[in-house]
Amino acid sequence: MDFLASFKICSSGLSAQRAKMDVITSNLANMETTKTREGGPYRRKKVVFAAAPLQGGFGGLLDKALSQVKVEKVVAEEGVRLIFDPQHPDADERGMVAKPDVNLMEEMVEMLAASRNFEACVTAFDATKSMALKAMDIGK
Amino acid sequence: MDEFRIKSGTILPPPSLVKENESIAGAPGKVTKDFSSLLQEAINDINKLQIQADEAITKVQLDSATSIHEAMIALEKADISFRTMMQVRNKILDAYQEIMRMQV
Repeated sequence: MDFLASFKICSSGLSAQRAKMDVITSNLANMETTKTREGGPYRRKKVVFAAAPLQGGFGGLLDKALSQVKVEKVVAEEGVRLIFDPQHPDADERGMVAKPDVNLMEEMVEMLAASRNFEACVTAFDATKSMALKAMDIGK
Repeated sequence: MDEFRIKSGTILPPPSLVKENESIAGAPGKVTKDFSSLLQEAINDINKLQIQADEAITKVQLDSATSIHEAMIALEKADISFRTMMQVRNKILDAYQEIMRMQV
């Protein structure tokens, strides 16, 4: 059915925003983490989205114009924040501790954006559904 | 449901008509399926969507790794396709009752 195409795109958008939310939560939870399995402090993660062609859409020209979103990769940023704290068990010989370069404000803004984006996808879904239902009222 | 779409912008004559009288003017191509098999296919498709929705909601209940929105979307797909089927059924019944009311 033709409205299934926009449902598919909505679904991919919702999944993508949820993945972004997971990454943001991980950044927030690890704001003070100085130990990781790879060694060194936790690195701030960022999610990268990519447009993927939609299969099974309208067919023809419009099919090429439509694309859903997918999570391409999650990249770790290089930077760390050096803080002077000689008492810390992870301090180096100069008393500096490497902490994750996570900015609370930045993460909160990203979180807001993700949740608003998610809401927008849900609204688009609802609008599509009401269009489909309205179409069924034709002739009544 | 793709089968219900009107092919190449022309309205197909009812399949039974085509079988009885092949020389309909402007009949586009040959109709291979009759209406009842098309309806059967459509109902099967709708049933498939219902089963998918069932599976999705079971997965959400049993396995926390599945996302809620995918289950909800599966439910909505099943809902809309079922409503469409009900509309088709209502139309068919209306037509049937209209014929039954005919004066003889």
